[in-house]
Amino acid sequence: MDTTKNLQQQKKPFDFMKWLKSRKGQQMVVIITFMFVPLLLLAVFTYFPFVEMFKFSFYKMKYIGDREYVGLDNYKQVFERKDCFSALKLSLYYMGGSVVQLSLALYFATLLSFKTKLGNFFKGTMFFPFLINGIAIGFIFKFFYTRGFVFDTVLQWCGFNLDHLPYWLQNQSINNISLVGASIWRYFGQNMVLFIGAIMSVDAQMYEAAELDGANKCQQFKYIIMPSIKTIIVLNMILSITGSLSSFEIPFVVTGGNNGTGTYFVIMNKIAHVTQKVGLASAMAIVLLAIILVATLLQKLFFKYFFNDGTEDNAKVKKSRKKNLEGAN
Amino acid sequence: MKLKKLIAIGLATVLTFSLVGCGSKDSKKDTKETATKTESTKSSDDASASKLDYQKVVFGETGKDLSTTIKFFSHKTDLKENGTYDKLIAKFNETYPNIKVEVEATTTYADDALLRLTSDNWGDIMMIPAVDKNELSKYFMPYGTYDQLSTQYNYITNWMYKGDVYGMPSAANAQGIVYNKKVFTDAGITSIPKTPDEFIAALQAIKDKTKAIPLYTNYAAGWTLGAWDAYIGGSATGDADFQNRVLPYQKDPFADRKDGTGPYALYKILYDAVNKGLTEEDYTTTDWEGCKGMINKGEIGCMALGSWAVSQMQAAGDNGADIGYMSFPISVNGTQYATAGPDYCYGINAKSSDDNKLASELFVKFMVEQSGLAFSEGSLPIVKSDTKLPELFSAFQGVEFVVDTPAEEGKEDILNQVNTESELMINAGGNTKVAEIIEHAANKDESFDDIMADWNQKWSDAQDSVGVDVTK
Repeated sequence: MDTTKNLQQQKKPFDFMKWLKSRKGQQMVVIITFMFVPLLLLAVFTYFPFVEMFKFSFYKMKYIGDREYVGLDNYKQVFERKDCFSALKLSLYYMGGSVVQLSLALYFATLLSFKTKLGNFFKGTMFFPFLINGIAIGFIFKFFYTRGFVFDTVLQWCGFNLDHLPYWLQNQSINNISLVGASIWRYFGQNMVLFIGAIMSVDAQMYEAAELDGANKCQQFKYIIMPSIKTIIVLNMILSITGSLSSFEIPFVVTGGNNGTGTYFVIMNKIAHVTQKVGLASAMAIVLLAIILVATLLQKLFFKYFFNDGTEDNAKVKKSRKKNLEGAN
Repeated sequence: MKLKKLIAIGLATVLTFSLVGCGSKDSKKDTKETATKTESTKSSDDASASKLDYQKVVFGETGKDLSTTIKFFSHKTDLKENGTYDKLIAKFNETYPNIKVEVEATTTYADDALLRLTSDNWGDIMMIPAVDKNELSKYFMPYGTYDQLSTQYNYITNWMYKGDVYGMPSAANAQGIVYNKKVFTDAGITSIPKTPDEFIAALQAIKDKTKAIPLYTNYAAGWTLGAWDAYIGGSATGDADFQNRVLPYQKDPFADRKDGTGPYALYKILYDAVNKGLTEEDYTTTDWEGCKGMINKGEIGCMALGSWAVSQMQAAGDNGADIGYMSFPISVNGTQYATAGPDYCYGINAKSSDDNKLASELFVKFMVEQSGLAFSEGSLPIVKSDTKLPELFSAFQGVEFVVDTPAEEGKEDILNQVNTESELMINAGGNTKVAEIIEHAANKDESFDDIMADWNQKWSDAQDSVGVDVTK
């Protein structure tokens, strides 16, 4: 870049002060001063620590004390150890949960965006869990699932016998499902609100027209609402898939990651803070980042080829905008 | 297009400048820091010869004119919340009115303390967390040499490196089992069990004859499981050298010794108790705060916890007199041993000013020798001249107290290294492995011998990678 600058300078004598006072120069000054602070913050608090962590992943080190360069050894361990990479299998539970979560959210969002009695009240109550602190939710569910406490009592009212109920957190075949349930309860309100927002933006005349044509509510949903909010559905899906790969709070608080509920993040936390293998934990973080990037990419491709979703429109707009710009220049 | 290029160039220059700026600032800071470091160590070296010698510091005489504020970071949230610390500080201020003490306490102390330690200004006094011993002098001020201090104090070997002592014990515990005397008599148990078989039989009797939970695991709290590691030295082997001088070098330390002693027998008690249904029915939802009241009311038979827990169990209800403490049920050649050792130790920041160091020494001295805090918490005496045993050790007749000998000079780190490398973390927050014993025992999906074989494997691999000479 310096060379191009030099070339320009050679072509004609360049009066810096004059340029600075010109309209273009002033524009430049404003741009640089405004960009400087956010870029600096971004670099210092995001990119710098990230680069450091990337460096850590090649060392065998503790928080304090000497470091030893070990090359790719940490990455090898991430894939070889039976507790690291296989912890990602638990994410399948959470991914399954996110499908349930999104369908529930979409269902309630559709119901609530039509005229419903006490609509705002239901919106409020269903969104409420998202406002509670994640740690508090963990504690709530710890007691909720305790033998003979809330959940068991409610089920007993429904006629279940306590002896036939499983131990929700102890039984290793269902404890992950219990935890996923808590996670759904927490996040589905947020998805729902996003969906309601998107559905609100659909032109009300479309419904009228559809009704005149004799379409029922189901058909309205399928042919009007779904196509209009595809972008937001894709966004929510990407968010919940990455979310389920990195679930932490609920398993950490409710079970401490013991008893076969240790998700990738919980294990990573344990390795970094209890056994202090910082290098290995950093390598795990980098591997997870790569996985999330690949998952997002795959999802994008999937939706591009199998569904003609809203994102394509964006690409078209961009392209035409680019053309216009080029033409102007 | 030109504008774009200019923006790009501008951005590039801004970014490079900002990076250069950061870099130079950092390096300046570093040099400054090292400069102050060398200064401070120099000055403290000179001063420690005269003013800061812990043994020559006399409470009530030295430093009467000191006026400063010291910060104390503690693991005892209960003492802060119930005002005990405030009362003690008020008492301390009767002698030293101008030394202000600020106390901070967190429940996740072990993690928090380590994180704060990496920043230099964490305060003046801290309960020393799990640091490598060769790092001690970087963070903490030495109180004096072991040879001098050991004439006056017990249990100071935990944080010792190259003959210097860096930690003064806040309390000393003996390891045993908290039990409810009434539950044991109701179940018809007349004498305290002394071997693993007797203990399991006693638990079975409690299950058959009373409504109490024989052994409460406290699985859910996590850290409570670490108590099982504490028996590994003296209690399980009777050998004071075991923890620091044998364990790191032994081949397969978790192998079955066939005589009901050693680590194998110790963890097998837990496995058997869970496997035979002698623990609570749902271990994942145990409640640490709730268990105190339950054992007080006689709903729990016993729990594996250090002696510090006894006072809390007694205070949790109306039947405090029922709570007793017994030695761990392993006998080596007919004698029962109990590991005794310090709880968290007070460490003083090596980077504090000399005034603050002296004030901190005075406060530590007060806490250890004058406050009576340790005795009221059920601690064994730390000052040698004090021979008063708290009431709760009355059931320890005939039991020998074993204090772990420190590792040989120059080998202080080996145990910690093997621990972190193997991730078993014996006596260093290794709760997960104990939790796994309970899980496998309850689900009956792995035999105890397999678990121990797995541990032996991990231990050997770690010994290899650390480069330890393994002895048979």
